[in-house]
Amino acid sequence: MKRRHWVRLDNASNIFPAARSDVDPKVFRLGAELDHEVDPGLLQEALEESFERFPLYHAVLRRGVFWYYLQDSDLQPEVRAEAEQVCAPLYQADRRTLLFRVVHHRRRVSLEVFHALSDGTGALWFLTDLLSAYTRRRFPGEAPAGGGDAEQVRPGASERPDPPPARIGTHPGAQAAEEVHELTQDSFAHYFRGRRRRREPSSHEQDFTREAAPAVLTVEEAEDPEDAWPEEGDQDSRSSRPPRRRIHRVRGTRTPDNRTHALELSMPAAPVLALAKAEGVAPTMFLTALFFEAIRRTDESAHAGATMAASVPVNLRQFFPSTSARNFFATIRVEHTFGQGDDAPGAVARRLQEAFSAEATPEALERRLHRLIRVERWPLARIVPRPVKDLLLSLINQANNRSLTVAISNLGRVTLPAPAQAHVGRMQFHVSAVRPQFCAITHDGQLTLGFTSPFVETAHVREYARLLTGAGVEVSLAAARTTEEELAGVDP
Amino acid sequence: MRTCTDCDLRVEGDWERCPLCGSVLHGAEPGGQPEPSPYPAVPLRFSRRRVLRVLTLTSLGVIALSFLAQLLFRHDAESLGALRTVWLGVVATWLVVLMAVSKRRNLAKFIVYLVLAAGGMSVYWDYLTQWSAWSLTYMVPILCAASIVGLLITVRLIRMELADYVVYSGLTVLLGLTPIVFLSLGWVGVALPSVICGALSLAVVVLLLTLRGGAVRHELATRLHL
Ligand SMILES: [Zn+2]
Repeated sequence: MKRRHWVRLDNASNIFPAARSDVDPKVFRLGAELDHEVDPGLLQEALEESFERFPLYHAVLRRGVFWYYLQDSDLQPEVRAEAEQVCAPLYQADRRTLLFRVVHHRRRVSLEVFHALSDGTGALWFLTDLLSAYTRRRFPGEAPAGGGDAEQVRPGASERPDPPPARIGTHPGAQAAEEVHELTQDSFAHYFRGRRRRREPSSHEQDFTREAAPAVLTVEEAEDPEDAWPEEGDQDSRSSRPPRRRIHRVRGTRTPDNRTHALELSMPAAPVLALAKAEGVAPTMFLTALFFEAIRRTDESAHAGATMAASVPVNLRQFFPSTSARNFFATIRVEHTFGQGDDAPGAVARRLQEAFSAEATPEALERRLHRLIRVERWPLARIVPRPVKDLLLSLINQANNRSLTVAISNLGRVTLPAPAQAHVGRMQFHVSAVRPQFCAITHDGQLTLGFTSPFVETAHVREYARLLTGAGVEVSLAAARTTEEELAGVDP
Repeated sequence: MRTCTDCDLRVEGDWERCPLCGSVLHGAEPGGQPEPSPYPAVPLRFSRRRVLRVLTLTSLGVIALSFLAQLLFRHDAESLGALRTVWLGVVATWLVVLMAVSKRRNLAKFIVYLVLAAGGMSVYWDYLTQWSAWSLTYMVPILCAASIVGLLITVRLIRMELADYVVYSGLTVLLGLTPIVFLSLGWVGVALPSVICGALSLAVVVLLLTLRGGAVRHELATRLHL
């Protein structure tokens, strides 16, 4: 019998199978809109090619006594016409299925990934590769010189690490924090077209083990943690947090069959960037402040004095070069209490920006990473059986949910390698959610905000759109039919 | 592409009404054909609302039939006494759970429903088992008194809006007075439980009117407004 390679799931990823539920299957979607109807045959060929290059995506998730683990599999992915709702469940206990799917509908290609496998950045690598392989086939004349099966060097790889944060911004507040969300620099194409390095030929088994290794471990190999990281307690004065207030939470009517309610606002990116710039903040924090305002306007129970909190993920690869496609992010929590001074979105955004910038520093993130690895190695954490870990993690997740009003995720500006760049228009980004959430992604000068929520209510998105159109931004809406009324007449 | 003038945005796909605000969209497609949506319409796997409604209606039907079936066996109660007790107990529990689920958002209302259903059931039960008045003597007064205490605790524990519970609290207290009526009509064997229950209700009525009289009057005026 063939012996399968496996890697256990790290603590950071363990939270996803533990916190998965019918309402929130912990799946996210990255999509791209092409300039023509997708050719399923070519997409399948492209998928097979990319699949070969990403051993991590061969993994199935299995349950051990102490840990979940990713196991190599012989399953082959198939592209499908989109027939399920946005972010439909992927992982089901005891069923060995791939942890991602590729679907197409008209001009759109979407990649959906179970979050325990990868994060947005990692998935974007896969989608980029897939789109490149597809467009090379669809438009053979346009392939860059020497195209074909070239190996990629990923952004954030040690050969060409993304610029260290210190070099990015001219002033440390707004710009630096914004660059944190810039997934790809403009040189993205460079990685695919320019310097190519030949890797030693290695077996698929070795590839799998290396690719499936937790991101933190690949970082640890690169640096000596004992020397590089300050001892705990050195600068940990920030841990004295202000007392926890009661956080305003959005409630609503669940969708009729637990599906994620997905709405999509797209708009030209330039005017939104200009609005944020006029307020002197990064776009992410500007959009977050608008989200708070939209919720405050629609939720009767959000009285003056209500505190709203958002979680914002930060891509750690920007600070700690890592080639791992596994989960490698930290979330930073920002909050605002209304009725204490200036509540205009601009002022709120500036205050959020301040709090965010203080947390999004290499030092602060390093401390967290250090703590994460310590927990990982803690002997007691190892011997606790997995069901107990699941229970603990889902409790932690619930407590965490209680302290959040909304969640936000910004993948930043994406640049694809040629010829995909020329044929892809808007891109989409959605994450299944237990609370209202928006995800932002910019491509081809188009900013797309993917709103998701487990509720049928859309009032907060309406207010959000009105805030934007009121400021002179041209917004268009795409929505998936979700409620019983919207789906009336659709045959099962 | 159609536009929603209320939200001032363009709406992609074949929507007749704005998915955000519900108002009718303006502007037809040049070719008369609606533009296809970038998302497919995925049929419902199930409908939470319909599933719940069907389950509730089926349950209520079965419960009603169970109660009616008891009438067929009234004459030979001796032989199946234990079986009948168990069966009635199961059905009663089922009914209570059903009510708890459907009234979970209004505890005060649930308490009123519970008193009515449990009281009614025990009277029926008493009637099936050759009427010895145990239901009116013990069951109903104890139920009413317990529900009043339960309501007082609930109001303390979860900070209900006064307006939400005034009417149903009032109803609970009024139900607490019914054992006194039974007592005066001479339907009751032992007087003590009814007397205690009645006294408790009267005390709460007085308390409610002195402490929250204004709110009670205002709420009643609102609810009874013609
Ligand atoms: Zn509208």
